[in-house]
Amino acid sequence: MSQPQMSERPKPFVFPEYCKGCGRCISVCAKNCISFGTEINPQTGLIPIVLDLEACNGCGLCITACPEPYGLQPQLPEVDYELIDPATLFGPRQSAATPAETTPDELIDLPATAPLVIKGNYAAAIGALLAGCRHVYGYPITPSTEGAEFMAKYLPQLDGVFLQAVSEVATVNIMYGCGGAGLPCLTFTSSPGFSLMLEGISYMIGSEVPGVFLDIMRGGPGLGNIAPEQSDIKLACRGLGHGNTHAIVLAPSTPQEMLDLTMLAFQLTFKYRNPVVILGDGYLGQMTGRVTLPNKMIRPGLPDWAVWGDAGHRRNLICSIYLSEPELEEHNKRLIAKYAAMSASEQRADLFHCADADTLIVACTTPAQMAKGAVQQLRQKGVKVGLFRPVTLWPFPIQHLLPLLKRVERIVVVEASDGQLEDELRLALSNAGIFKPPLIENIRHYGGVLPGQTEIVNRILATQEVAS
Amino acid sequence: MTTTVFYDRFERHAQGQGIKGHSTHYCPGCGHGLAHKYLAEAIDELGIQDRVVAVSPVGCSVFLYYYMDVGNTQAAHGRAPVVAIGHKTANPDSIVISYQGDGDLASIGLAEIVSTAQLGIPISVIFINNAVYGMTGGQMAPTTLMGMKTATSPAGRTPLMGQPLRMAEMIAGLQGPVYVERVALYDAKQRTRAKRAIRKALECQVENKGFSFVEVLAECPTHLRLDPVATEKWVAEQMTQIFPLGLMKDVTKDASFPALPRPSFSEERLLEVVGASMEEVSRFATSFPSHLAKGDVALKLAGAGGDGAQTAAMLITNAAINEGFDSTHIPSYGPESRGGTSYADVHVAEREVLSPAAPNPHLLVAFNAPSLAKFGPAVQPGGVVVYDSSTIHSVPELPAGVTAHGVPFTQIAADLGRTLVKNVVALGALQEATQLFPKETFLYAIRNALKEKCAMIPLNEEAFAWGARAVRGN
Ligand code: SF4
Ligand code: SF4
Ligand code: SF4
Repeated sequence: MSQPQMSERPKPFVFPEYCKGCGRCISVCAKNCISFGTEINPQTGLIPIVLDLEACNGCGLCITACPEPYGLQPQLPEVDYELIDPATLFGPRQSAATPAETTPDELIDLPATAPLVIKGNYAAAIGALLAGCRHVYGYPITPSTEGAEFMAKYLPQLDGVFLQAVSEVATVNIMYGCGGAGLPCLTFTSSPGFSLMLEGISYMIGSEVPGVFLDIMRGGPGLGNIAPEQSDIKLACRGLGHGNTHAIVLAPSTPQEMLDLTMLAFQLTFKYRNPVVILGDGYLGQMTGRVTLPNKMIRPGLPDWAVWGDAGHRRNLICSIYLSEPELEEHNKRLIAKYAAMSASEQRADLFHCADADTLIVACTTPAQMAKGAVQQLRQKGVKVGLFRPVTLWPFPIQHLLPLLKRVERIVVVEASDGQLEDELRLALSNAGIFKPPLIENIRHYGGVLPGQTEIVNRILATQEVAS
Repeated sequence: MTTTVFYDRFERHAQGQGIKGHSTHYCPGCGHGLAHKYLAEAIDELGIQDRVVAVSPVGCSVFLYYYMDVGNTQAAHGRAPVVAIGHKTANPDSIVISYQGDGDLASIGLAEIVSTAQLGIPISVIFINNAVYGMTGGQMAPTTLMGMKTATSPAGRTPLMGQPLRMAEMIAGLQGPVYVERVALYDAKQRTRAKRAIRKALECQVENKGFSFVEVLAECPTHLRLDPVATEKWVAEQMTQIFPLGLMKDVTKDASFPALPRPSFSEERLLEVVGASMEEVSRFATSFPSHLAKGDVALKLAGAGGDGAQTAAMLITNAAINEGFDSTHIPSYGPESRGGTSYADVHVAEREVLSPAAPNPHLLVAFNAPSLAKFGPAVQPGGVVVYDSSTIHSVPELPAGVTAHGVPFTQIAADLGRTLVKNVVALGALQEATQLFPKETFLYAIRNALKEKCAMIPLNEEAFAWGARAVRGN
């Protein structure tokens, strides 16, 4: 029986390049084996320590005291460190794991069911469930609370997670974590809450983390009120936090679309690894209507890039830091190319009586429904008017608008905001090289007052009279 | 003593070029390096490297992900604990570490750390307290000692700048955490304790005990403007006075955090949860009620808060959709909904409801006088008004050709023993007065709505019948 001798304990060793000369190892050595050096290391500009291991008993205290991962190391007997290039010394680690591959989503057939009769907010919630979302985080804010309440009630029945966060700031950052882990997640919020989430959305865009934000817009500025306003179009389209950011912005106008576009949002957020914003308004969220379920639901897979917490995904990093200017410029260029790809492929619009229209109403969310009613009423009077309803507010569906411009003499933008939709329209026209667009007029309301069908009809009839 | 939890080469540190491939970005003698090392060793010893997700903060340790060969994510300033919640709830098998400095955790991220600690979810927080902002250049931290000079307390911290915040004590005072300890790094004994504490914090998670928090008093020689060894001494002599070392809370013995859910994707379950039915629906209407309006009938139901206008509106919408029409219902919006009047706009359309608002309805159901006074004059010519004659004694002037039916909704309901059913009386009256849908359509919708309260069905059927009878009798 031979006990290992105390003297067999490994003695310390350090590459001068990796020693910062802090001296924390010196005071801990009872044998006074370590002392401050005197020579500046040419590679580091620091003065490494000097070891004199004659009296060393291998207690290891100096190694534990060294803050550098590759600073003081136990010297293994069989290795002659002096002959090794330090850069190669610590050799590649044997990571048994092969990098994970993306597990694709699975489509599950649904039987035909009778249409549901539900509120817009519930329809969106069901859309999220059908899209495979089982992680919903949020902070209650009127008029979006039904969504959170629905999820709080039903997600546990699907073994999902609903967590009420301490704030909207916390909410968006929990989503950063869950989305970074590669799972679909969602929040319901309303304008003041959405403002608070913008910083986090910038991080998600910078780190390419998916997540769906359902903003049931309300009257502002400030606390404003809880009535419907289209107050956040500018935030969603132009103001997603700091940096060069964009996200697809969907604008449903019926409970059915609340479901359909929420499902689409999940598809798009993973397709582009970029958040997606759905803008509803209080009216739409509260509106009950007929909602038909699709014939498929989704069981989400897991993307290869996820920071999941297993061997296959260990190498992954979710991060928006690029320290060097050229690298950050490259990163921005990649993001901008992604925005361009979204812009090219994801423009969506709903056209109602547009083919022969010489007057075009442009409107989205609930005001678009009022406008639709107005168009029908005007058509009965023989007025050639159509409704151009952007379903994506960003990218603005200019591709669908351009062909109509040959006929259109005037455009009336109907909105519940101070020209936030009109600004998107004008910017899109100008970016498309249309510098002499048709006459653009508007009907605007604020503070929760929505443009009414009769008001739109009367305005267009008045305009017609002036025109003729 | 060596661990494989550090990358063999720090590729993310300047592409791992030259010395940076094996050297940290920390100043000589910085406490972060030691905390990293003990964390790496604990991960190694517990055999959890593949499961770990480390959340890097903003501060000097922002680049934790340069070094640790684990799943890495980098959080916004102060938000690491909630990012950790996202990871932990996404994958309950992951071991999630929130590594934070004092500005990150004790200043900008206070709400996040306190709420996460109280949630008690099993994540491990390593909190590096070095009494100063490192990354931004030595400004005052929430943990800066009184009298201590920093870039933003040039003459020393005074009470006007607040008192140093004792995080370990604060977190230990919450019910959520299972393990809270404050440790230091200034001598061999403290380092052993620090290492043990960090390992224990991880064990709390491996064993699903709950939230753990280790505050590490660390050295920032650079901003203390002392050499590293003098900084160790300063921590030992000055910091520990305000931030006493030791165990603050340990209820790990019998602790066990409830199992986090793992989502299910059964289609049957989902359909059940959302209330989708595969049953055939029964239809009774043979055609759209075009006698009321072509293609789209607009209704308004208005009353006081408890009159049940919204429920009646919902029943109409359900009935219409059962019949294969489109329909919408919008409840009154704005301050009115908090008391006073409650009104509902309903549309029934042959194909598609366009504008869901009903400022000029074809049909009006009024439960009280103010509602009739307000909306009666807006009814479309040729429209129908049904009102509660128990409460409304004088009818305002209505547009030409509008028919009004007074039915004592409240009286009938009271006679039936439940004033609550006055809205169903109203529906019966509406049906009889307008023939919007056949009687069976309404009754079918009412029975469906009362599926869970079958006992209420006969009463409601009776209420409906009495409402209809009252119109016929008129
Ligand atoms: S191992 Fe112990 S005795 Fe040897 S140099 Fe280090 S501290 Fe001194
Ligand atoms: S503790 Fe490490 S870095 Fe500091 S002087 Fe000693 S060997 Fe060098
Ligand atoms: S500034 Fe202070 S905390 Fe930051 S790396 Fe340097 S010594 Fe460490």
